[in-house]
Amino acid sequence: MSQVASPKPSVAPEWARLVADSIKQYGVWHTYLKLIEARGAYPDDLSLRGYTEIVRNNIVRDFLAHPRGMRVVPKLSAEFLTNFDRFNLTAQEGYLISLIDGRLDLQKLLVLSPFDQFTTLFNLAKLQHERAITVPE
Amino acid sequence: MTSNYQIAERLSTPIAIINEHGGIEWKNAAFEAMFGSDAKDWLKEGARVVGGERGWLQEFFMDGEEHRSTDVEIEGRTFRIERIMAIDGGAAKSIALWFEDVTQQRQMEQAKSDFTAQIVHDLRGPLSGIQGTLEFVLSQEGNKLDAMYTDLLQEAQRESERMMGLINELLDFSKIEAGNLVIEQEPVRLAGVLKRAVRSLQQVASRDEIFLMSAHGRDVPQVLGSVEKLTQAIINLVSNSLKFTPKKGLISVGAQIVRNGEAPEAIVITVTDSGMGIKASEVAQIWEKYKQSGNKSLRGGGGTGLGLYIVRQIVEAHGGEVTVASVESVGTSMVIKLPVKKSSDTGVTTASRATQ
Repeated sequence: MSQVASPKPSVAPEWARLVADSIKQYGVWHTYLKLIEARGAYPDDLSLRGYTEIVRNNIVRDFLAHPRGMRVVPKLSAEFLTNFDRFNLTAQEGYLISLIDGRLDLQKLLVLSPFDQFTTLFNLAKLQHERAITVPE
Repeated sequence: MTSNYQIAERLSTPIAIINEHGGIEWKNAAFEAMFGSDAKDWLKEGARVVGGERGWLQEFFMDGEEHRSTDVEIEGRTFRIERIMAIDGGAAKSIALWFEDVTQQRQMEQAKSDFTAQIVHDLRGPLSGIQGTLEFVLSQEGNKLDAMYTDLLQEAQRESERMMGLINELLDFSKIEAGNLVIEQEPVRLAGVLKRAVRSLQQVASRDEIFLMSAHGRDVPQVLGSVEKLTQAIINLVSNSLKFTPKKGLISVGAQIVRNGEAPEAIVITVTDSGMGIKASEVAQIWEKYKQSGNKSLRGGGGTGLGLYIVRQIVEAHGGEVTVASVESVGTSMVIKLPVKKSSDTGVTTASRATQ
């Protein structure tokens, strides 16, 4: 029955404003990378994990906003096919790119992927951002 | 200093200076009238450390917080004991305590909670009947209702679900207020808890054209606690996100492992939406009871303002902490951190009562 301290509000009160400004000025990917950097500097700031998730969430939502939705068929880009050494892929990205054959749509890729839905979509969005894959209109 | 003692001596409130072993170093007349002059077993009990669990008096000595209070049962009555000062500074060897008899106040609170629990229980019965009937009518294949009546029945079903949610929140609230939130210390597979919460609200999300998905693997370590209560906390958070996320929005439920070297130390659970966000001025209040953000729910109807308060109580009863990150017009992420306890840490803990 001891007294309970209220949960601490965000330790760094400027995160909300910084994230909002950064998204407006530089876009979600730049903001995401900056937040990952910031997590190294503020490892104990719990709210920073939340801000990172907000940005990741927006990246995946934008990826899903394609007019064909889950029926869209990602393809390997010409740049990836001719110059794949340039791409520094993680193990997850490498696995996912191996599934892309120009025929499987997002829905099927989600079924085949061993990763959770969100992680799969986030990695595909990242591959698109890095121009390793294209998502035709 | 002498004059301070003289003032304290004359106060009608029991005050005493207690050392870290539970010994009484000084007491005023009111204390002596209330508790007598002998050494007190309940003070010795509060000063004990058993199996790593510190008594309330030890907590007072260990905690650096300036203001701290706790309820203690003494000889059949309930006293709110407040630490008013440390006698010898930082590493105090003795502290001054203030005793307030709150027996009647707590009994009234208990009666209020019991009454709420009874009312809520009585409301659930007939509402379950209404829900069952609606479900039966709507599930009949080839029913001859035209589209308008089907729409109306579906609306009634949605509203009855909402009402059941509100009633359940009130029931949980009454349990918390009565100090009856008991958390079992059983191994909980968090991945299963998160999946169950997502699955239970998937239909609602689809109906509102919102993507709801898991963002974690299967390798989430176990925590000690209550499957039921943790599931409820996650469901509360996702339900809350559903209210404020527009069509074509996304809600993700994730889990990350915080490591200390190789060993997992804590799990961070996030429930993140692409909703309208919370104003910076309202962020700090959202975990308080009856507080709601100024944003209007996109799905119509308000709530009790208890959902997030209940989440906070459940998480804190598990030894965890909660916080929120929010960017207006971009989204909100509710963040829960739960400690990964060793399986040897068994026993039963109860939620702390928040006293002001």
